[in-house]
Amino acid sequence: MNLIAQTLADGMVLGGIYALAAVGFSLIFGVLHVINLSHGILVLIGAYLALIFTELLHVDPLLTMPLVMAALFGVGYVYQRLLIQRAVDSSPIGSMLLTFGVALMLQNVMIWVFSPDMKNITPGWAFASFKIGAVTFDAVRVSALLASLVLLSCLAALLKFSALGRVIRATAQQTLAARLCGVNVRHVYALTFAVSAAFAGAAGIVIGIILPFSPHDEATWTLNAFVVVVLGGVGSPAGALIGGLLLGVVNTLTAQYIGPSFPNVTMFLLLVLLLLVRPNGLLGNAFSASR
Amino acid sequence: MTRTSSLMLLTVAVALLLAALPLVLPPFYVRVGQLMLYSAGLGVAWAILGGFAGYASFGHAAFIGVGAFSAGLVETRLGGVPPALLLPIGIVVGGACCGVLSAVIAYPLLRLRGTFFAIAMLGVSNVCAELTNNVDFFEGSLGLTFPTVVPASLDPAIFFYELFLVAGLVVLLIAWKIRDSRFGAGLLSIREDEDTARMLGVPTERYKRTAFVISAILTGIMGVIYGHSLGYITTDSVYRNDTNLNLIVYSLLGGMGTLFGPVIGAFLLVFITQVILGRLLDFHLFATGLLLAFLVLAAPGGVIGLVRGWRQRRKRTGAVPAE
Repeated sequence: MNLIAQTLADGMVLGGIYALAAVGFSLIFGVLHVINLSHGILVLIGAYLALIFTELLHVDPLLTMPLVMAALFGVGYVYQRLLIQRAVDSSPIGSMLLTFGVALMLQNVMIWVFSPDMKNITPGWAFASFKIGAVTFDAVRVSALLASLVLLSCLAALLKFSALGRVIRATAQQTLAARLCGVNVRHVYALTFAVSAAFAGAAGIVIGIILPFSPHDEATWTLNAFVVVVLGGVGSPAGALIGGLLLGVVNTLTAQYIGPSFPNVTMFLLLVLLLLVRPNGLLGNAFSASR
Repeated sequence: MTRTSSLMLLTVAVALLLAALPLVLPPFYVRVGQLMLYSAGLGVAWAILGGFAGYASFGHAAFIGVGAFSAGLVETRLGGVPPALLLPIGIVVGGACCGVLSAVIAYPLLRLRGTFFAIAMLGVSNVCAELTNNVDFFEGSLGLTFPTVVPASLDPAIFFYELFLVAGLVVLLIAWKIRDSRFGAGLLSIREDEDTARMLGVPTERYKRTAFVISAILTGIMGVIYGHSLGYITTDSVYRNDTNLNLIVYSLLGGMGTLFGPVIGAFLLVFITQVILGRLLDFHLFATGLLLAFLVLAAPGGVIGLVRGWRQRRKRTGAVPAE
């Protein structure tokens, strides 16, 4: 009983982080209909930037978040305007391959710059933990989860209440109609990409404080994001949260009860099953026409 | 002479030339040639589904792995069988296993389209790799040694070069037959507009499934030969994610949906990475990524697309008197 409660709790904590890492991917998919295979790279850039800022400024990694998010916001905007925009209107496979090409190049650059070794930005208070009932929580994981939840709520609020959010949702629902109403669609696409990159960067920091990272991890985070989005539904922070929690719980349950070397098998069986019975994800499509 | 028969003659001539090459090439280039022919065969097998029907699979390494491992596991248990029979048995076993696997997963997976299908196939490849690695029976993490099938009088490198050549040609001919048939026309119509094709009476479900199974069997057979040419395989040497990607790049580089596109693409890419960049291992990822980005942005039709565009422009300017 204890074991299952502990496993579930660990899964939820992990799932919150998966959700944050996937929400940007989900937004781009929902608005631009582009599968951004360089998403994992953006996550890692966030982690490496946090590493650089932490060493330069001697502050806690979580405090570097505004800087990292601002930097990635700019990177995302420029990346979209210069490269992605040219492939947005071609076939979905085309834009997917373009982002994959960029991911390969950036991964190689990261290996040159940061070496292929594992790095980490685990802060000094990482080994504190506390107990609720019989279940142990690591302070570092819980703070990572809290950061994820706060950021996800911020994004949800931004999309729902702000003027920018309204324009983004309008573009996602009916690009043509939005354009007719005077929305500068290219600008909105680029802003969406920028927001998504900023959240990927924030996710990179949160991941960095609980796990070591290396340039080879990018594929893992891209795939995780894809699975989370398919599980939860495209384009909404709530969908990402549901998908992330589900994935986290499934991962820890598999590792605990089937074997630590099988998480991918159960993950993809779940994915294929869900694609078959409910192709729109558990929450349905937040935005229509996302395929 | 018609265009098809002159193309056929050209293919035969090139094949004969390729068959004679290892007699004069140094050993390193025989190995590169093996890789080119193997990649070209895989590329064409992939294109039967990905190019003709437009269902780009991101996980065909699954069939390379399943083919190689099933053949190897059966062959190592056939102690008393003469070595000359082992390879044919392996090819039949590997092809059959891939055929059964693909026929089963075709039902759920081919309901998905576009990128969803691509990523689901990547999932299949990862799941197969993980099972091979972790289930003791498959010996994936320890590795599997193939029995020797090369006759003692022959150089193994040349033997496998010629074998890849024959296999690649068979795959090419099958793809050629398919493209010129009613079935092939049906696949092309699925690529152009699946719903309309279905409405007009094309049995899209059956065609897609058939193309998937044929593509998987041919890929599996190439995998069996590849396993033999390596002699010893582990999970990581056959279930490779760069193979998953490269199969798409071959078609993209040569010309998506064309018959000879994957062949041209495979030859070019293997030449670029193995010969030109052979010494710069650190640079491979970057070069592949750059090539990919360049192709999508600047030449979505690949080499064949560029040549066709150039020809059309020449025809147009030629028709109008220039003076």
